[in-house]
Amino acid sequence: MNAIDEDTLQAYVDGELDAAAAARIDAALAHDDLLARRVRQARALRARMQATFDPVLDEPVPERLSALLRPRSPQAAATPSAAAGRRGFGAGRRRAARRWLLPTAAAAASIAVLAVALWWRPGSGPVRVHDGRQFAAGALSVALDRALASEPDPRAPIRIGLTFRGADGRICRTFTDRARPPLAGLACRDGAGGWSLPVLGAAERPAGGELRQAASDLPPAVQAAVDARIRGDAFDAQQERAARDAGWR
Amino acid sequence: MDPNQAVREGLPPLLPRLRRLARALAGQVADADDLVQIVMERALARAAQWRPDAALDKWVFAIARNAWRDELRARGRSQRLFAAEEAGAATADGNSGPAQKLELATALATLPPDHREVVALVLVEGLSYSEAADLLQVPVGTVTSRLARARASLQSHLGKDT
Repeated sequence: MNAIDEDTLQAYVDGELDAAAAARIDAALAHDDLLARRVRQARALRARMQATFDPVLDEPVPERLSALLRPRSPQAAATPSAAAGRRGFGAGRRRAARRWLLPTAAAAASIAVLAVALWWRPGSGPVRVHDGRQFAAGALSVALDRALASEPDPRAPIRIGLTFRGADGRICRTFTDRARPPLAGLACRDGAGGWSLPVLGAAERPAGGELRQAASDLPPAVQAAVDARIRGDAFDAQQERAARDAGWR
Repeated sequence: MDPNQAVREGLPPLLPRLRRLARALAGQVADADDLVQIVMERALARAAQWRPDAALDKWVFAIARNAWRDELRARGRSQRLFAAEEAGAATADGNSGPAQKLELATALATLPPDHREVVALVLVEGLSYSEAADLLQVPVGTVTSRLARARASLQSHLGKDT
């Protein structure tokens, strides 16, 4: 019995044959070494696929995914899919980029600060400088105080990204400002009730596919600064609101 | 039960399997979880379209497959073009040998999308051919032939004894 085609053989391996057809293959296997080898290979591939992907079942589900299913943030969970695609793929890429950028955090951050120092005029716009440190001012300060990432205002020039508590216990928020040139940065709650800006830089928009554009929401220096500070996960919608209600303490 | 509530309550137990399927479709962990997020958002937004006599898992997996197709289209190029660059961060973490996993991830990345999704649904998720055919809205024979060609391709990449 040598006329067993690939489709039949794979159906056998995948448990798709009825009992009679499977019994015919069983019988042929006993005296057909080549057939037996093909069956072994097909089974080995299937086993290898399972060995590779089944461990995903036991991984903890990331907070950003399970948070979507909590009933209390329906408007965050049920956004239209076109926007979701863009935002969704960007969100994960930011996480991935953070992993890779850790070692360069300090270097990238200092470059960003330097870049800002070169073209920033103190006293103007959304930033004030005090004792050599940058603080949010004007509209940026207001947005950091009030805006919620879970309830974005499409008309607002300043958009809040991640909110999280840093290892030093202070709440930090990433933001982008569609100013000219566009800015992005990290703001951390200051002891005096303001927002210090440890990282502020130009928000570049490199060319590329959708995924890369979404990933460019935050420049690497900001991502790296988030990595260097974050403790635990970024806030979900409810935690963000609670933090605002508590005055970002 | 109102379909919105049924879908919302039915999704959490499906998350581990959805993540596994997404990993098999997308390869990279970050892409896969982005895909899962999009799938959940779409499933919640379209909950009213789910009929309780349809299995929720198949409905959600079909959303996942379509969302991944959308993403590939949005990128304007096939998976294989960026597989080489990004395979290094792919499925490979865990315990059955990073080198083997990377090898498998690379082999999977060479498959055309319609072959890869059959592999993901049948070999990883464990659907029957007819379930996969229903989900993909193609004849069973198409599933069979795609799967056979995908297997042959994977085995040629992985060596005869896989």
